[in-house]
Amino acid sequence: MTAIIETRGLIKRYGRLTAVEELDLVVKSGAVFGFVGPNGAGKTTTMRILATLLRPTAGEAWVAGHSVLKERRDVRRAIGYMPDFFGVYGDMKVWEYLDFFAACYEIPPATRRRLVDDLLELVDLAHRREDYVDALSRGMKQRLCLGRALAHDPQVLILDEPASGLDPRARIEIRELLRELQAMGKTIFVSSHILSEIEEVCTHIGIIEAGRLVATGTLEEMRQRIQAQRVVRVGLTGRDLGELSRAVEEAQAWLTRRPEVVCVEPVTGNGEGDLQVTFAGDDEALARLLSELVGAGFSVTMFREESSDLEDVFMLLTKGIVS
Amino acid sequence: MGRLAERWKTVLDHPILRLEMRRICRKRWWPGRRFFMFYPALLGAALGYGVTLALSDSLGVQLMALVSGVPVGCLVSVVTWFLSFALPWIAPALTAATIARERELGTLDLLRATLLTERSIVLGKLGGCLARLWPGLLALALLSPFQVVWMAGSSLFAIPSSLNVLTMSTGFDALMMDTDFAKWQTWTLVLLLAILIVVAGLLKPWCDLALNAAIGLLVSTLASSSGVAIAASYGVILVVRVTLWLGTSILWPLLALLISTMQAMPEPEVMVVMPALMPLLIVLIESVGAAFLVWGAIWWLKRM
Repeated sequence: MTAIIETRGLIKRYGRLTAVEELDLVVKSGAVFGFVGPNGAGKTTTMRILATLLRPTAGEAWVAGHSVLKERRDVRRAIGYMPDFFGVYGDMKVWEYLDFFAACYEIPPATRRRLVDDLLELVDLAHRREDYVDALSRGMKQRLCLGRALAHDPQVLILDEPASGLDPRARIEIRELLRELQAMGKTIFVSSHILSEIEEVCTHIGIIEAGRLVATGTLEEMRQRIQAQRVVRVGLTGRDLGELSRAVEEAQAWLTRRPEVVCVEPVTGNGEGDLQVTFAGDDEALARLLSELVGAGFSVTMFREESSDLEDVFMLLTKGIVS
Repeated sequence: MGRLAERWKTVLDHPILRLEMRRICRKRWWPGRRFFMFYPALLGAALGYGVTLALSDSLGVQLMALVSGVPVGCLVSVVTWFLSFALPWIAPALTAATIARERELGTLDLLRATLLTERSIVLGKLGGCLARLWPGLLALALLSPFQVVWMAGSSLFAIPSSLNVLTMSTGFDALMMDTDFAKWQTWTLVLLLAILIVVAGLLKPWCDLALNAAIGLLVSTLASSSGVAIAASYGVILVVRVTLWLGTSILWPLLALLISTMQAMPEPEVMVVMPALMPLLIVLIESVGAAFLVWGAIWWLKRM
């Protein structure tokens, strides 16, 4: 697979605020790249630069081999862009809306009618053809906007938070649509601040925080990272509260000294008195840790591995950095 | 011819222009077919009136016809005056809201991400706004023949009298010399001035409209909301108008003063031509300013 999106040393500053800092990103052709990060991490800024709507302060970016700085028109021809906050012309009919954007992409009038019908079919809005856009639900408007982004049959889709604010059903519909587009061979660059929202459709993930790419790789590579660091919940008991808190403190100190343990944190709120242990090791090492913990005299009531998914990687990698 | 037709087809197929046209037709506030029946009739009447006057061999008859104030002529003058005043002040409300509203709605990014160039977006939006004013613009255009006749008459009447006053006050009698050359020179000058005054007068409302609309358009590309854009546009227009008025009212006396200090006796032609050129100068400033502002709006959108 060749790179269809590439950024090198991309920087965007708004006065003193740095939105994107030295971003080096590669998205392979045909991939569904999930661009994940907390709000304000720089996702939208990056996407707007890739869509030629914003000029970077420094660095360069290419889409389908075209520079976003020097070949803006070629880039626009290659991408279909859907912003996070997008408006629709409510006073237009659904077919008129698609026809308008098809005209904006220089599609000749003779082929537009057929194209609009095909697009409506694809986004499952053929039955609402003659309705005004204002009469559509939010999920339908989102699908219509996606249809608009596909009007010129672009190679790359840049979708900024396509599932935000949608009800579960509409989310599933968007997900299905993305799968369909992937099957059609489109490269999809999709952002979200909730990883689980896009995890199921992505082939690659990039995690951004404070304008920096903190991790990137295929879904498999990211899962291996989880395997490398697992989270274990340890419950202890004592005769009274004083003894329990002493036991928790001693266990924390004991666990911290273990070489496979990355960090230990006492659980606060619900489940106080438990410890959350981040452990880097295989199952055998984990079993050994439990037996040694008991052998060291701690009254262990619970030793349970927390179910871990990509969300934990996200939490782990973005922890403590504030944009 | 073929290329021209092709170009016209491209203009008509401009997506933004088509979108605005569709909106206008859907609003149903336009008077529809009645316009097409009413205006050709008016145009015919105006042209007929103008031609009748032009064919009349005596200037006196022409002036009498005008001065006697044919009631239709008066009505047309009032309507023309009203349109010349109203249209330039309505236009910025439309242009100021246009791009700022797109930004407010979140549709500007969608447009910019398409193959439409920034120039195309700005000109399409401007065309769409002007299209909304089409009944007024058409009426103004169709009343122009009346305006030409009226202004030509009044300037032909006014200029010789001002020359007269000038020659009497300065004691300079070269223009009144009974030679063929002097007469020829005087009448060429009078005719030239009349044409300049008529052209400037005809262009004035259109240039007012262009400048105000362009100010609205530029402010619209800068403002974050349509409300702010409209308020700011009217503010800027007011400042520009006052500056223009002050500039032109001070400019002529200053020039006259300058000329009189340089020459003991200014040429009478200069004294007559200069004030007559003032309206033309304003029209020129306005049209160049409007073009510059539209270019500024395009530049700003590109720079974003």
